[in-house]
Amino acid sequence: MTYKNVPAAPAAPEIDLGSSFVTTRLDAVVNWGRRNSLWPFPFGTACCAIEFMGVVSSVFDVSRFGAELVRFSPRQADLMIIAGTVTYKQAPVLRRIYEQMCEPRWVIAAGACASSGGFYDCYCTVPGVDEIIPVDIYIAGCPPRPEAFLEAIVQLQNKIDKESIREQKTVGI
Amino acid sequence: MMVKKSNVPDGPMLPGLSLDQIVTVLAEKFTVVRDASDQWGLTLVAPAEKLRDIMRFLRDEPTLQFAMLLDVVGVDYLAYPGHRGERYAVLYPMKSLTFRHRVTIKVTVDEDACVVPSIHELFRSADWAERETWDQYGIIFAGHPNLKRLLNHHEFVGHPLRKDYPCQKRQKLSINDQMLDQLEARLRARGYTILDHGESHAGTPITDASSVPSLGTVKAGDKL
Repeated sequence: MTYKNVPAAPAAPEIDLGSSFVTTRLDAVVNWGRRNSLWPFPFGTACCAIEFMGVVSSVFDVSRFGAELVRFSPRQADLMIIAGTVTYKQAPVLRRIYEQMCEPRWVIAAGACASSGGFYDCYCTVPGVDEIIPVDIYIAGCPPRPEAFLEAIVQLQNKIDKESIREQKTVGI
Repeated sequence: MMVKKSNVPDGPMLPGLSLDQIVTVLAEKFTVVRDASDQWGLTLVAPAEKLRDIMRFLRDEPTLQFAMLLDVVGVDYLAYPGHRGERYAVLYPMKSLTFRHRVTIKVTVDEDACVVPSIHELFRSADWAERETWDQYGIIFAGHPNLKRLLNHHEFVGHPLRKDYPCQKRQKLSINDQMLDQLEARLRARGYTILDHGESHAGTPITDASSVPSLGTVKAGDKL
């Protein structure tokens, strides 16, 4: 049995034990599982959330990247997708939901508003959700095309590949 | 199938009165002045102390029947070109559901007192609309039962749609307030008793499950 995405084991003396197991690094196995089964929590507040519905639906089908199981509880999700404008009135709610997510957890800021506040340069809009919580991937666009969402998930997968279970992921929040 | 009786009249809308006729009907009872700056519709400047009487008259007069209050709009004329007079104004755009006519009542507001009478008893839609105008312009609606901020958060200082508020001045919110006062009032009005508020409101984040009031007397299946 071979696994396509598992990197080859470092050079080591091979013993012929048949095909009953594979040897690899623990990080590689864990990251392989994490990257290919992201469970998104959609924090949809505006039109970008409509694009995200398209991403999950059959035409664009985020299931091809293993991230189709959208959960509406932060306790069952490890990928928060902030799709839309976030106001200061809403910011404590966003922060609280992020804190309720189990680790490891990742955040995608989808679209201009979540990334920078967009054109709402005013008294009530948070100028980018990275003022509230840490963000892993930013998606440009107003709203972004569904392909941009898929690109962001692929980029996040590549980022997860570089992580290690020995490193504490949580940054000071 | 039960059909809820609507207060929207059956049949097509009737032509109603012309703008000049509306002015005539109102001018018989109240001192109103037509606002020349409204080039497209009919805006009548009315004295604040007569506002409630005028709104009631507009709603109940058979030839007018302005049954719908569309909005309560604040205006800040600070640095407005060519403006003389009071700094603030409040506009009440109204629509008749029976006739094809509309009117806007305008009340000028003194900057120091900054108060107009509330009309929430005449139009239920005025409740939140007046709260929004208070929130954004700081205009007090005397007699309003729950004049607190509607759009901005409870730690916000100032009124952002005033022209002297720096529009990019951001104000962070640390903790949400409960925002359940109206729900609780509605429950009490239906005879329910709210037994326990959980922890005190101050310092309790809204998403904390222990702070959600336990509605001890609400029965399963009740529609709230």
